Amino acid sequence: MNASFNHPVLIVVVPLLFAALCPIIGLIRRSLVVWLALFGTACTSFLALSLIGRVTPGNDLSYHLGGWEPPWGIEIRIDTFGLLMVCVISTLGILLVLYSWKYMERELPANRLSYYYTLLMLIYTAMLGFSITGDIFNMFVFMEIFAITSYALVAVTGEKRALRAAFKYLLMGATSSVCVLLAITFLYSVTGSLNMLDISNTLAELSPDYIRVALAALVFFITGFSVKAALFPVHVWLPEAHSIAPSPVSALLSALVIKMGVFGIFRILFTVYGPGFANETANWKSLNEVVAWAAALSILAGAAFAIAQKDLKLMIAYSSISHIGYIVLGICLLSYHGTAGGFYNVLAHAMGKASFFLVAGCFLYKKGFRRIEDLKGLGRSMPISSGAFALASLSVIGLPPSAGFIAKWNILWGCLDSRKYLFAGVVLLGSVLAAVYCLKVVYYLFFTGPRMRDTRIEEAPAAMYVPAALLSLGTLFFGIFSGLILPSLNSASRILMIR
Amino acid sequence: MKKLFVILALAALGVVLLWVVGKMPEMGDSRTPDKTHVVPRYIEDGVKEAGAENLITDVILNYRGYDTMGEVAVIFSALCAVIALLDREKRGVSRSAVDASQVRSSRIVRVTVRILFPVIFLFAVYLILHGENSAGGGFQGGAVIGASIIVFTLVFTLIESTRDIPLTLRVILESLSVLTFLAVGFIGVFKGVEFLTYILPGLSPGVAGALRSQVFMMSIEIAIGVAVGAIFTSIVFAMIKEENFELEPHIPEP
Amino acid sequence: MNWSRIFQNLNYAVSLLLFLMGLYTLAMKPNLIKKIMGLNILETSVFLFIVSIGMVDSGQAPVMAHGAAQQVVVNPIPQALILTGIVVAVSTTAVSLSLCIRIHQKYGSLDACEILGREVA
Repeated sequence: MNASFNHPVLIVVVPLLFAALCPIIGLIRRSLVVWLALFGTACTSFLALSLIGRVTPGNDLSYHLGGWEPPWGIEIRIDTFGLLMVCVISTLGILLVLYSWKYMERELPANRLSYYYTLLMLIYTAMLGFSITGDIFNMFVFMEIFAITSYALVAVTGEKRALRAAFKYLLMGATSSVCVLLAITFLYSVTGSLNMLDISNTLAELSPDYIRVALAALVFFITGFSVKAALFPVHVWLPEAHSIAPSPVSALLSALVIKMGVFGIFRILFTVYGPGFANETANWKSLNEVVAWAAALSILAGAAFAIAQKDLKLMIAYSSISHIGYIVLGICLLSYHGTAGGFYNVLAHAMGKASFFLVAGCFLYKKGFRRIEDLKGLGRSMPISSGAFALASLSVIGLPPSAGFIAKWNILWGCLDSRKYLFAGVVLLGSVLAAVYCLKVVYYLFFTGPRMRDTRIEEAPAAMYVPAALLSLGTLFFGIFSGLILPSLNSASRILMIR
Repeated sequence: MKKLFVILALAALGVVLLWVVGKMPEMGDSRTPDKTHVVPRYIEDGVKEAGAENLITDVILNYRGYDTMGEVAVIFSALCAVIALLDREKRGVSRSAVDASQVRSSRIVRVTVRILFPVIFLFAVYLILHGENSAGGGFQGGAVIGASIIVFTLVFTLIESTRDIPLTLRVILESLSVLTFLAVGFIGVFKGVEFLTYILPGLSPGVAGALRSQVFMMSIEIAIGVAVGAIFTSIVFAMIKEENFELEPHIPEP
Repeated sequence: MNWSRIFQNLNYAVSLLLFLMGLYTLAMKPNLIKKIMGLNILETSVFLFIVSIGMVDSGQAPVMAHGAAQQVVVNPIPQALILTGIVVAVSTTAVSLSLCIRIHQKYGSLDACEILGREVA
């Protein structure tokens, strides 16, 4: 038994440990808490990245908690997709904590700051646990942790509209959680198990009496997770909550938390149910089709609303709906290129959108500007932030050589592969619309306003623009070196399709 | 109009759900999938393997202990959420609306609560400690502790309660459950087995596995009980405190 | 529709009725506190549902008193699950109530329509 045998669980446990320590350290010295959180995320990230060589497509890493073998105990199961999520979450975590250091100092009174960092560590714990667990009820527990913490994080400033947005988010989020719990109940009553692989084996030869119940469970799961992912008809909570929250929280919610809903849909559709569950391929496929249509509508509606916005953060929030649509569409195309592209977009969108929100936070911090029209000429006075925005917008639009391009290219390929030409059109149209709303901002930043020599450089603190710039450079890096991740995603998706 | 629409939609949903429920396994049948697949091992070997006579405690703290760690994290995050939204009470300054009212609680109420408070507290301790062998457990006992302190606070003042249970102590107690869980888990990790495997350092392997498990489960139960009590107390204190109450309380019309 | 089966599973049907009542309260009542109550009804209905699934006819509570093995006991897993569910529900309620307190401080009202209307003014 080698030393790294316990790494899978340590990914979840280490941030939880730091979360529990934060309030106690906050009693002693408040200024230490941010360093503690930074250290905690760094440790987590190290643990997550150390797993990279150990998970290969088709060769999952399984870990039995408490030494109880799977159907009886809880299993942690890391596959390629889970590993991607874990790496994205933990790496982004460091940058967001770093960004919060200066930004939240101004937004929150000192005595509440330590609880802000505690909430951040808890939400990381929950998302990491959610991504790697192999047990549906455990998934529910972690889902609740990130749900509760995200309601609080939206409203943490106590601003009037933030409170209202958080309450709306809470009502919809809690209802969706109940849907998921009901679905777990349905599924448990006909399979008698909570372990994902065990359920999927039981479902494969389910007695025909129970197929109706299993299908109802599937529908409830998808409804519940769609609300968390903000797919089109149930996206109404997202724009307000994401735009009014403080910027690092917006970045966190947009880049990571809504991805959890998508990941839930993916886990349920592919890991738990699987294409051939109980010879119900037709039903499963048609449900898949429905989700794909919802995703396609999200792409168009999100992008169209984004164009209409005057508020920068609101525009970015609507753009998130559009990108969530891309990811879900890619996953539901039933073509391995699509799935790989969808997950590549998880990476690309996490970096691009986090960078967008962080830059918007820089503008807000330095100038107090929210409206797009106010951004005139900021490209000259805040060159690094604006440059990061421009670079990230390449990825959000999907232009080469950015990561967004690779993702959209693969999704498009998936559409053509499964002969869904209408969806291919939607993907292209979504990109065109994205170009409209992104380039509008870039235009205001760089091509309007006062002349170069009239402006002084007034950049936000380095702790704020460095994370934004790093994320933008990340989109470029993973666009150029897509060979680092894409092949393993491709082969993992291919295995998924064969099963 | 909207009302009618919603009622119709809900009725449709109800019919669909009823249609689904009609196909569910029969209630009370002991041959349904959920009672034949995973559970038999718990019922047959649970006491032997996991160590507690109460099978639910076995499931919660041993077979699915990781879930309970998540659960503890849920309630801890609820506390952090409430504190982040409402802030903690400040010592000596915060009072509740009840404290500010001119009508004091009557002597009968005060004496009753004073007599009942230790009894309620004792019952909570019983619930926590006896959760292994009968109904009860850390969460239930913790909730009762919280309730007893809330009753105390409502009758005697918030100032009185915060003096008796100072903030600094509560901050440490609140983290206690998470930290105990992690400590127990890490003992396993350092001994080279899986997280949350109950292994006691320094005890020979000859000692029955059930005893080892019981020591750990008991310590986790106690930590959960204390922490949940502290968390509920803190949540309620944060909710009822009023910092800017009027010094001249409003006297209601007779 | 198989009515006899539904009557057999009366607990399920009742919990679904509670589910719908909860949804209705959540959707239609303008008062935020009532919405939270609706949410709690919704959650409780699912807890009733889960516990009913674990029921066994003439089953005892799953406590194995000293050596008394081989008695018929109900399924312990659903009960363990709802313990978690209840904790989650309590946590959600605590957070929503504290949001309500803040909302009442800022808007001076707990009426959903009024809070939406204030924004315009």
